[in-house]
Amino acid sequence: MTTQEKDRIELLQGTLDLLILRTLLFGPAHGHAIARAIERNSEDVLQVEQGSLYPALHRLIKRGWISFAGGPSENNRRAKYYRLTARGRKQLQVETTKWDKLAGAIARILRPAAEKVE
Amino acid sequence: MSRRKKILGDLDQDIRDHIEKETQDNIERGMPPEEARYAALRKFGNVAQVKEETREVWSFRWLEQLGQDIRYGLRMLRKNPGFTAVAVLTLALGIGANTALFSLIDAVLLKMLPVASPERLVQLTSVTADGRTNDYFSYPTYKTLRDQNRVFSDVFAFRTLGDVDFEVDGHGELAQGQTVTGNYHAALGVGVVLGRTINPADDRVRGGSPVAVISYRYWERRFGRDPSVLGKNIVLDNVPFKIIGITAPEFFGLEPGQAVDVWIPLAEYGQIRPGVAAIGTPYDIFEAAYRNSIRIMARLKPGVTEAKAQADLAPMFQQALQRAADSLTGLPFDSPEGHKLYLKTRLEVEAGGRGLASLRERLSKPLLTLMAVVGLLLLIACANVASLLLVRAAARQREIAIRVALGAPRRRLMRQLITESVMLALAGGVLGLLFAYWGSDSLVPLMSHSATPVLLSVRPDVRVLAFTLIVSLATALLFGLAPAWRASRLDVSPATKESERTMGAMGGQARLGKILAVMQVALSLVMLIGAGLLVRSLANLKSFYPGFNQDRVLLASVNPTLVGYLGSQIDRLYAQALERIRAIPGVRSASFSMSSPLGQSSGFTEAVVEGYTPSPREQMAVQLNLIGPGYFRTLETAVLTGREFTDADGANAPKVAVINQAMTRRFFGATNPIGRRFSLPGWIGDKTMIEIVGVVEDARSENLREAAPPTAYVPFPQSSDPGSVTFEVRTYTDPASMTESVRRAIQQADSRVPVFGVKTLPEQVDESLVEERMTASLSSLFGLLALMLASIGVYGLMAHTVARRTNEIGLRMALGAHRGQILSMVMGQTLMLAAAGLAIGVPAAVAASRLVTSQLYGVRATDPITLAGAVALMTALVALAGYLPARGATKIDPMVALRYE
Repeated sequence: MTTQEKDRIELLQGTLDLLILRTLLFGPAHGHAIARAIERNSEDVLQVEQGSLYPALHRLIKRGWISFAGGPSENNRRAKYYRLTARGRKQLQVETTKWDKLAGAIARILRPAAEKVE
Repeated sequence: MSRRKKILGDLDQDIRDHIEKETQDNIERGMPPEEARYAALRKFGNVAQVKEETREVWSFRWLEQLGQDIRYGLRMLRKNPGFTAVAVLTLALGIGANTALFSLIDAVLLKMLPVASPERLVQLTSVTADGRTNDYFSYPTYKTLRDQNRVFSDVFAFRTLGDVDFEVDGHGELAQGQTVTGNYHAALGVGVVLGRTINPADDRVRGGSPVAVISYRYWERRFGRDPSVLGKNIVLDNVPFKIIGITAPEFFGLEPGQAVDVWIPLAEYGQIRPGVAAIGTPYDIFEAAYRNSIRIMARLKPGVTEAKAQADLAPMFQQALQRAADSLTGLPFDSPEGHKLYLKTRLEVEAGGRGLASLRERLSKPLLTLMAVVGLLLLIACANVASLLLVRAAARQREIAIRVALGAPRRRLMRQLITESVMLALAGGVLGLLFAYWGSDSLVPLMSHSATPVLLSVRPDVRVLAFTLIVSLATALLFGLAPAWRASRLDVSPATKESERTMGAMGGQARLGKILAVMQVALSLVMLIGAGLLVRSLANLKSFYPGFNQDRVLLASVNPTLVGYLGSQIDRLYAQALERIRAIPGVRSASFSMSSPLGQSSGFTEAVVEGYTPSPREQMAVQLNLIGPGYFRTLETAVLTGREFTDADGANAPKVAVINQAMTRRFFGATNPIGRRFSLPGWIGDKTMIEIVGVVEDARSENLREAAPPTAYVPFPQSSDPGSVTFEVRTYTDPASMTESVRRAIQQADSRVPVFGVKTLPEQVDESLVEERMTASLSSLFGLLALMLASIGVYGLMAHTVARRTNEIGLRMALGAHRGQILSMVMGQTLMLAAAGLAIGVPAAVAASRLVTSQLYGVRATDPITLAGAVALMTALVALAGYLPARGATKIDPMVALRYE
């Protein structure tokens, strides 16, 4: 267990939230579909332990950024799917801007080294 | 259905759906179904943990978990009643001792007076040029400060009466009285349960308003809370008064531990103590500006600090001092020195919200020392319980391993284990609180003197409860964290498969267990050595020859000024009383003096010695005692040269003095002082020369610790009157049996004269050692408890070690090891523990003892006898603690032990 932990790229908590919101921008999706989409779109660089999706989904629901429909409690066997809310859409913008700023700042710090490599 | 319940209710199904879909995907990619499902599960991660974390998102989770942890913890504690009882008792002992001590510290040192805004109360004191502080001021100075200050909203004053004869319907009883200014109760914000308090109108006319206010406690004790006492006429020391009110229950006066029973207006002082008040004379207590006789407290105006008040009052205090010095002019004891002394005094403003300082000053050091001692005791208790938990964690490894295997995160496991620790600690805390409740009541009498009994209500208040709670929680962390950490770091696979006795994790736990045992030995050694040093100091103080022989001496005090005696009447009264006492069969000799040995009421005054030129800043104060004829013979203080006083040294005879060795050395060096002369202008009243007629050995006077200061003894009739004196009566038989006959003899001289403070000299000497005895006996008690805990700790560790190694020992014996070899193997380990504990404990004790140096007497922190004694005691008990399991080990039957595997 310990060796596995070391090798995996750990996602920052907020990052997974951001990726979920981004995925749902294309339309509602099941939990499994969200996991697959994140893996595929990141070309399998981000190895998300699929289970960790669920605490994140619940966190987003609690904050009102996504909603859910379907699922066992609605008396049909259709799996539950998640949808971006208006507030979630706004939040995605905020988070994306934040992320861009952060990425930009880190890039600026790393640039001299990067130029040498080029 | 709430959103939370709905989505959480679906969670299991959602996860199943998810894994199902992933499995399908994998099958579509060509995996066999079995492998596809396994891969999906692996990819999903720890299902139990995911569920747990998801539930945690929906808040209240921690509370639910806490509930689970507590229920589970209770089950575990109930399953092991022996462990639980020992742990809780050990903790209760440690926490209880700490709570008891803290509640005393709280009552004596921390608690604010139960009056309105105590934080704004200040006490005024004056400090002389030579650094001596004085709490007393003259009434004219009080009036100046009261009327002219800009910093106080109230200034009030009081003078304690001490014992007064409180007579109701012809029945007298001693009560503690105090005279107070008319604004006293109002300024303190003291309420009443009945009637009213003293008001300024009561204090306006001398003797004009004979009213008395009694305390709730006195009302309860003397009158059984009978409301009809209001308006009742009573007699205080022969003066009629009327009860006008009963104060609120919580108010006891201004001195923690010294409750006042009855308050009367200060204006009545002249009625109740005419001799001391000297109304109408140049010494009039209300008029003489030099006569420092009342204590002053005040309430700061909002926003005024103590420093600002002090600065603001300085000029007006200087004026008051000038008036005081002027008022000395023409009085017999006026002198330029006296003038100078007066003018160099400065006023200080000190926080007074905790009340007057006497008890605090007397007890703060012993109490803080004992607090440190019980702190160590608690640490030992923690180490003890921690090692118990370690042993139990070993027994619980399989349970923990199973929980880990079922997916319980480590964080969660640690929380579970710490919850159990906290529950143990809280149970210990509750029981400890009970111990403390009972214990602190029995501690209070240990601090009391018979003359000034300490009456404290040591009831656990909010602060004490908070202290106990914090200590309990800190304790839980201290003893619970390390075992919990170790237990939760368990590696799953070996633990589930293998038996407890061969576990891999055991190495680390055994090491931690040993460290804990060594720590207990070291800490309890520190406590034992500390206790030993204090006990030896007390023994040294008791066996030291103080310059008088205390055996078979009875003391009895009188104060004839209370019933109106003045001047030479007093001399005659004492001469008559002495004659009657000496006539009692069984009395060997008798005398009287202003200060009795260790009676804690000695006087100092400036001496002017003929032929001795003091350097400019030299302190010329000598201790003065006024004594009757035969004083030294009675106390068996050796007269080294010259003679002691006789009846011939009367008021009109040439003035003479006997001095002690310290005074001889100080002023006369090696020369013979007999026939040399000095004067005591501040006391005797003029500069009449006093001739030295004798030298006596040094006798300790204020306390047993301090060498006698330079002392001059003067015949009683040749000095101004000090108020009360004490008769010293040496008897042939038990002095306590003579109490009544001595009292009767004095009252035959005049039946009106009250006799008080009747006790034997050994009792008085013992009382001077109250603090020493308290620290010595309590630190010994706690030291022995610590020793016991440490021995139990070592025993537990060794018993566990032997149990764990049953197998190995059996094997050794099967291979031919003697029982003796097994015994020495286990004992060797035990003694290694002891040696490590001693190696740490001895230097630690020596270092720690330096903190109590000021409380030691005639013994150094490195005292070899104490160190050797403590080490021997510790080693013996640890050896015994190891011997029991060692002997058990030799009884192991190799066949049984090997078959057991």
